[in-house]
Amino acid sequence: MRLIFALLLALCAAPVLAQEGKAPPPNAADAKYPLIARAEVLANAVEKVIRPAFATFKAETADLNSAMGALCETPSAQAVATANAAFAKVVDGYSRVEFFKIGPITEQNRAERLLFWPDPKGIALKQVQQILSSQDAAATIVDGLRGKSVAVQGLGALEYVLFGTGSDTLAADAGHFRCHYGATVATAIAGIASDLDLDWQTRDGIATHLMEPREDYTDYRTKIEALEEIVGTLAHGIEAVRDTRLLPFIGRTGKAAPKQALFWRSGLTMAAVRANIEGLETLFKVSRIAQAVGPDHAGLENTTLFEFKNAYRGLGLVTSPVADALVDTRQLAALNYLVIVTQSLGSLFGDTLSAALSLSVGFSSLDGD
Amino acid sequence: MWQRRAFLKAAGAGFAASLLPWRAQALETAELVFASAIQKIGGGYGAALLTERGEVVATVALPDRGHDITFSPQAGRGVVFARQPGTFAVVFDPAGKVEPLTLTSPEGRHFYGHGVFSPDGKLLYATESDFEAGQGVIGIYDATGGYKRMAEFPTYGIGPHELLLMPDGKTLVIANGGILTHPDYGRTELNLDTMDPSVVFVDTASGALIGQLRLNAGLHQLSIRHMAIDARQRVWFGCQYRGPAEDSPQLVGYATMDGKIELIELPADTLGDLRNYIGSVAASADGKTVGVASPEGDLVLAIDTSSSRPSLMQTLKNGCGLAPQGNGFVASSGDGEWLGIAGSTVSDRKLDFSFDNHIALLS
Repeated sequence: MRLIFALLLALCAAPVLAQEGKAPPPNAADAKYPLIARAEVLANAVEKVIRPAFATFKAETADLNSAMGALCETPSAQAVATANAAFAKVVDGYSRVEFFKIGPITEQNRAERLLFWPDPKGIALKQVQQILSSQDAAATIVDGLRGKSVAVQGLGALEYVLFGTGSDTLAADAGHFRCHYGATVATAIAGIASDLDLDWQTRDGIATHLMEPREDYTDYRTKIEALEEIVGTLAHGIEAVRDTRLLPFIGRTGKAAPKQALFWRSGLTMAAVRANIEGLETLFKVSRIAQAVGPDHAGLENTTLFEFKNAYRGLGLVTSPVADALVDTRQLAALNYLVIVTQSLGSLFGDTLSAALSLSVGFSSLDGD
Repeated sequence: MWQRRAFLKAAGAGFAASLLPWRAQALETAELVFASAIQKIGGGYGAALLTERGEVVATVALPDRGHDITFSPQAGRGVVFARQPGTFAVVFDPAGKVEPLTLTSPEGRHFYGHGVFSPDGKLLYATESDFEAGQGVIGIYDATGGYKRMAEFPTYGIGPHELLLMPDGKTLVIANGGILTHPDYGRTELNLDTMDPSVVFVDTASGALIGQLRLNAGLHQLSIRHMAIDARQRVWFGCQYRGPAEDSPQLVGYATMDGKIELIELPADTLGDLRNYIGSVAASADGKTVGVASPEGDLVLAIDTSSSRPSLMQTLKNGCGLAPQGNGFVASSGDGEWLGIAGSTVSDRKLDFSFDNHIALLS
């Protein structure tokens, strides 16, 4: 009921949102579908989306690593600003690759080491504060850090170093330990990003398996299985945006919780959500997966892209930090509207696109049963 | 035939008379009655009672997606549980004479989709999550007192899924899947790095842990989810792997109350076909065969429990539901298929709804 009420608010408060609901007219050239072979979709996904995204992420993490090193070497307000900007770029890059939960990121707890989230018990905060208060020297050596909880090794930990309580010491020598811990985290993140990039670029690895499935591969034996992975990535990716990035702070039961927003300290919550959605749209659009359907589903690509535009309209209305957005009627309505749009996109991927490609992605969603 | 009679006895004398004529006729000529949670085409959820021929004799509406169903002839009731992390369970009278009763899990708990009655039908046990503590619990409900929640005891693990009553009638066996979730984050898995799945045996009288069995440490991401008990009282289980897709660990095994747990060796190509995912496990009526289904791999296997080798491999798109029938199993799919396999006498049928993951034999 609350959601419906919020949607009504959105429609009243933001006329632009009221214009949706009408999909563009069907393409006159429907009969030519499918416009693309499934093999080409897979090649597009890997070569034009996944590999470039991981390469960018690697470069961004290298820059962040350098910026953190420079900050520790010569603390200053300017160096802090440079590190913060580099952190924002890494968050952006990470948000464009994190939904590829396949292959190398599923190994060695890399996903958890890059970002320990969701964290309903606040484990990361307690452990990071413990490291800072005890000035645990092991956390300033990469090998030492790797031996610690995954919760203190990734972006959440580095965000606290850069933006959490006590971060004002970073611009001076008083922040020496804090900075070195943060720099070690940045080095660890850059190492993982480099490994991920290398694994995706490797000729005989996950990329090859996904592009050129073979019966003797254990992960992808057929193009159908590989396509299911791409559609699953889209469906589960947008589901994760809703379930782990929006609803926790909007509040499922009507109780807003701004500190349950990822990256609230750095004010990057909605930037990360935007990058998530843009990244998923890039995968959808550049792979041309919706052009691999038959004539009956020729309109699916336009319908889906139209829904992405709706998401950007909603995002454009959330202009304040989340704590302020949650108490602003118009922005709260836009956030609730985003929940609805992500649900719609999830259904378009998991149900409609999956069925149009004769796949079986939708039956058992995120963790099965 | 006996089981239909047993069902009718439990359902009450007026049940058949209350049905539409064609449904009554279908039931009259049925040997068995089954139940499954379903999803209607175009949306909406329910539970359906069916004959072995796949004829629907009754339906129960559900507020959201259901999962498994348990039935007690002693209580004369069936219970369909919400798919995790749902918070409802619907108690229904198969005869339709009593309005369904919707249970709601208490504050801080949600269901995992499975439950079982005590042998006398007086208690209902359900797997639940104490999600703030991040621990699994068994909720105990009074079937003689409006299904009031009486107590709970721990499952000694995280993410309990299916539970069964052992043949001794006093021991529960519980599959702790090991995966932590929290309703605030939907179905997102929160602890893939530290998963600790196990099979536990628990005394129903005291809630005490009788035994806890784990697979090798290297298999900590192998979530143990579904089970069935064979003629030798071995608990067969099926797993879902949460590690890298290019790994291909064994997925089926058995555990015993005297402390043995092991995975059987399925051939590599068969294992590949299962796609690291078993969605249901069932034992045949004689307990000599175990069926496992993979909706991800569109495959159903029948496994001879004496040799631990597959005796049949059947392709079934989106296939997951399994229940004993004849010498084999009736199987169902998310595409509405209903068919007999591995010695079943059931003929294929296509229904106009999607079957959810499990079929329960109401006997």
